[in-house]
Amino acid sequence: MKRIYVCENEVTGLFSALYDAWKYLVPDHGAECGIRFRGHLEQELFCEYTEVESNEKKALSVERMILSHMGWYAYKLIYQAALSDDPDRGDVILGTMLAAREIPDSRRIMDHLGNAQVEQTFELSRTVNNETTRWIELIRFRELEQGILYARFEPKCRVLSCVAPHFAERLSVENWMIHDAVHEEYAVHEAGRQWILVSGEHVDEDRFSSYSAKEEKFSELWKEFTDAIAIKERKNPRCQMGHLPLWCRKNLVEFE
Amino acid sequence: MQISENMSVMEKLRILTDAAKYDVACTSSGTFRGNDGTGIGSCVQMGICHSFAADGRCISLLKILFTNECIFDCKYCINRRSNVVPRASFTPDEICELTIEFYRRNYIEGLFLSSGILKSPDYTMELICAALEKLRKVYRFQGYIHVKAIPGASEELIQRAGFLADRMSVNLELATAEGLRTLAPHKTRDKILKPMRLVQNGRSQNAYELKVYHHAPSFVPAGQSTQMIVGATPETDYQMLHVAETLYQRFDLKRVFYSAFVSVNVDKALPAKTDQGPPLLREHRLYQADWLLRYYKFEAKELLTEEEPNFNPLFDPKCNWALRHLEYFPVEVNRAPYEMLLRVPGLGYRSAGRIVRARRLGTLDFQDLKKIGVVLKRAMYFLTCNGRMMYPVKLEQDYIARNLLDAGERLPQEVRGMTYQQLSLFDDVRFGGGVNEKNLCV
Repeated sequence: MKRIYVCENEVTGLFSALYDAWKYLVPDHGAECGIRFRGHLEQELFCEYTEVESNEKKALSVERMILSHMGWYAYKLIYQAALSDDPDRGDVILGTMLAAREIPDSRRIMDHLGNAQVEQTFELSRTVNNETTRWIELIRFRELEQGILYARFEPKCRVLSCVAPHFAERLSVENWMIHDAVHEEYAVHEAGRQWILVSGEHVDEDRFSSYSAKEEKFSELWKEFTDAIAIKERKNPRCQMGHLPLWCRKNLVEFE
Repeated sequence: MQISENMSVMEKLRILTDAAKYDVACTSSGTFRGNDGTGIGSCVQMGICHSFAADGRCISLLKILFTNECIFDCKYCINRRSNVVPRASFTPDEICELTIEFYRRNYIEGLFLSSGILKSPDYTMELICAALEKLRKVYRFQGYIHVKAIPGASEELIQRAGFLADRMSVNLELATAEGLRTLAPHKTRDKILKPMRLVQNGRSQNAYELKVYHHAPSFVPAGQSTQMIVGATPETDYQMLHVAETLYQRFDLKRVFYSAFVSVNVDKALPAKTDQGPPLLREHRLYQADWLLRYYKFEAKELLTEEEPNFNPLFDPKCNWALRHLEYFPVEVNRAPYEMLLRVPGLGYRSAGRIVRARRLGTLDFQDLKKIGVVLKRAMYFLTCNGRMMYPVKLEQDYIARNLLDAGERLPQEVRGMTYQQLSLFDDVRFGGGVNEKNLCV
């Protein structure tokens, strides 16, 4: 009977499920199994369901295994794929890991795009990569009363951990915080230090609504600028929409 | 001239952005720089667009003029001295504060600073340098800076600006010397080309210094660019493309930008204002051809000729070339050299690269091409796999042209169903004249 592991909808949960699934599958070649996420579960017939608890230790050992057998490049793509919002990503990653066992040099697994699972992993990582680039462009900070820069954004995939290093480099002398409002995660950076990822904390959002005195002035200036820079004889809303779809505009100052 | 004292930053920003918007260069690419921990900013090799304006153009840099007061009287320019428009000037501190505060909020990737000519070219360049120096050294800004070299400014000042900026540009504006004479009486081609040459020489010397001394300051690391106005004077596409090619070859430019002429002034030397708006399609075709020059190993004289000096409005320049040179086609996917694959309409350099890599592992057919992401919509008329075409195709200009029109770009209804011969080019009597070396700006 097919065994389905049901895990938390985040990376540690998924990696823990990969750990359990791997243990179940690898000694026994006839076995079948799948990975689903809590909250995205569609019951199927002739399956047994096993709940998986998120476990840091299991996740780390899966990470180590991928790194040592499949190499850094494959790990990077798999990690990115794990951040996507595709409900089948667990199966796809598991499939890729199994496919790597079948080939002579597991480190070259990501070149085997003929394999459907590998190709899917590649696609998912591309999706996450593209969204990362998009949010690096579109995250907008606002200065809070205390002088902290605060940004709120609503991505489809969990790209916060991919976006934050860019700002840690660029705004190394600033105190800033990026809030992923969909997955309720925060990236927090203190001037001159490393950034950290915070999740599962309850934060009172009212504290982020009082802006500094200068904030309004500069957001107004920015609106003025974006308005003035457009050449009205060349107006082309379709082109603008193609580059900047409506779902991305929610937290953009210039479209308020 | 209206100069108001005590203008607010908001009003200045409005005026000086409005005056700067006709400059099309807004890229932040071409240089990589990490942050050294003493200030804000970094540069990313591929550049970042932070927003898009209502005209669909990207907003990457804070594009402003230092001042829109100008002693020049270029006919096409909104800031010419004979125009009655509100005038304003920023102070260096205002520019620095705007840049830093916008940058902190991730609105922009850096600063694009241009200027009208205040008092004299040297005086203006001096002011620009002072502002940039303040931004780099006092505010410790490490993001991208694009600055204009003012035509006629002295060598030392251009040198100074070059060490502060990432990219410099001097606008050529008009491709022919005659065009410059009629529309920009205060500019001459020597005044424009001199700073361009200075930057080019500075860069090649700096490349050497950087090799010898690893931490030498870099001079215009992202290279220089220029821009030409499309459709203000009766130049042909061939003349413009020829000038662009020369600039790439002899001046080592990174980019040539094309700016469709927007009528802002009424002047007898300028084209009359019509309802058609700026010549956007022509601008688009020039950009396409520009890409062919830079990445696809085409030469200007292959794309256009003296007899046919303007681009076909219906087909992109590569398609147009292919239709006129059917003797090279069809191309065999499994054997053709990379350079030939690049010339097939519908194949980009990415697709061509993928084909070359994939065919090492086995022979390719059309299904394989689709799998590796090659778009066959246009390419199928020009390709064979193992000696077979995808569908039976007559290698005939009219037949292929008709099919391409059905499948290709969205085009006005009335032009469909014509034959290739009938599809005339920009048959505008105003556009004429060949490439006379003496006449061109470079």
